[in-house]
Amino acid sequence: MKPNKLITKVLLFAVFAFLKANTSIAQGTDNTDVSKQVSALKPGESNFMMVGLVTFGFVNQNITTTGLSPNKTNSIGDADRYEFSPMFLWRHGDKLLAEFEPSWDGNAIGVNWADVSYYVAPGFIVRGGYLVLPFGTYSKRLAAGWINKLPSDPYGMDMPGSDFGVEVEGGFPLGSMKWSYDIAVSNGFQLNPNGQIAGVGINAINNGKTVTGRLALLPLSNSSLEIGVSGLMGSLATPTGDSNIYNNPMASMYAVDFNFIKNINPVQINIKGQYNISNINKQTYSSPDSSLPKYSFENNASSYFAQLSLRPSKSKNKILRNFELAGRYVNYTTPKQSLWGQNYSEMDICLDYWLSWRTVIKLGYESTKSDGTTSQSVSTGLDGTSTTVNRMIIQFSTEF
Amino acid sequence: MKITSIQKIATIIIICSGIFGLITVNGCVESKQVAAKSGAQLWGENCSRCHNMPAPATFSQEQWKTVGMHMQSRALLTNKEKDKIVEFLQQSSN
Ligand code: HEC
Repeated sequence: MKPNKLITKVLLFAVFAFLKANTSIAQGTDNTDVSKQVSALKPGESNFMMVGLVTFGFVNQNITTTGLSPNKTNSIGDADRYEFSPMFLWRHGDKLLAEFEPSWDGNAIGVNWADVSYYVAPGFIVRGGYLVLPFGTYSKRLAAGWINKLPSDPYGMDMPGSDFGVEVEGGFPLGSMKWSYDIAVSNGFQLNPNGQIAGVGINAINNGKTVTGRLALLPLSNSSLEIGVSGLMGSLATPTGDSNIYNNPMASMYAVDFNFIKNINPVQINIKGQYNISNINKQTYSSPDSSLPKYSFENNASSYFAQLSLRPSKSKNKILRNFELAGRYVNYTTPKQSLWGQNYSEMDICLDYWLSWRTVIKLGYESTKSDGTTSQSVSTGLDGTSTTVNRMIIQFSTEF
Repeated sequence: MKITSIQKIATIIIICSGIFGLITVNGCVESKQVAAKSGAQLWGENCSRCHNMPAPATFSQEQWKTVGMHMQSRALLTNKEKDKIVEFLQQSSN
């Protein structure tokens, strides 16, 4: 399918959502004119809130790679999962909300998001700034350490992440069901020499923009089931800005996500999952070793996770009801014959103890296996190399 | 090839959701059963979907208004749901 067609469809949908929202502005009694609303905001109606999250732990792991002797490591702090993030929420009246979350991962300080939202009308929120792209649910809704029931993020779920852009979103009733839309236009990505994509950041160096969108349906009247479909489409920039290196590079991604909660007294059962695929149109890439010829590969990747958790939250036993058992399977397949080709899979199990609704201690065990699928002609690479990692993690995470 | 067929399926899903959206866009009303739900019930149903149910005593009334807007965006709640939940949390926060 032509990417432009999809973008047109997504935009058409956005326009209808916008028209609908405008009708509600016109019909509403208290929403007559957006500019009047903005000028009527008074500083006294502001509320400034600071919350934040901390995640740290201890990890002990065994790494086995074909041809190498096994390697054991352990760390307090746990470099791959440490996070310290204050979050600032600044509300102005009941229409404007700014959110800013800087974050320290133990090595560098970054920003997860820095944006401002305007609540224009029921079902119509407009946002601008550095925002989490609406693709799937993991990045936007489940990635915080105190929300994730397992100690690590599922590998391969962090794309496309945050970007500079504008976004419109909203939720509506639909009889006994509900549906929601969330669409963003952002600066997008560049295609790196190895075929991987990375955000271009605030200095967009390509002319095209990237459109990302998600539509969701909650078919049950108690909101216990949510199914979402997402798509991302955009032209890619080249790192040097020289557009002749590649032939009209484009990225497309699709995702399906679901979340289901069921109470079978006294146990609460939660099933979550997300399936992503991504494709970059055919290109030739230069080998890092200049004596080797240019090469090409099918630049397709896929990743998914499926998670089940059980918590006897309605149990009469005050200790037992704070325990939760979670299991998860993760799979991530990157392009065969690329420099980063691998088939990765992971099995995790974790026992959580909830000290409050937003403070948890996790005792987890993770077993990962990754088989390299890099071509020998590209580099001396990972082809045929297999790595297994078994790790035990004790983690504490809180939101405060 | 696998990707092409998945792309087709995704296109169909997107078109169907688009049509679905268009049909409903002028008639997004809730059923009587949904309209009759209390703030407490909506809090129980919606605020435990991603994380544990937040305790009303955690924040002040003004702060709940802020969190309500923040979570309306995260969870894409309808406006009525957000209003009812915030009212419930504010009343129970002391
Ligand atoms: C779709 C998933 C989702 C649902 C449903 C949800 N939350 Fe959240 N909640 C989050 C995420 C994600 C965060 C972490 C902060 C962030 O990512 O911005 C959060 C954080 C919070 C916080 C910490 C302060 C803040 O604003 O970040 C409070 C309080 C909270 N949620 C209350 C609620 C309430 C009340 C409801 C029910 C209306 C609710 N949540 C429903 C995803 C959700």
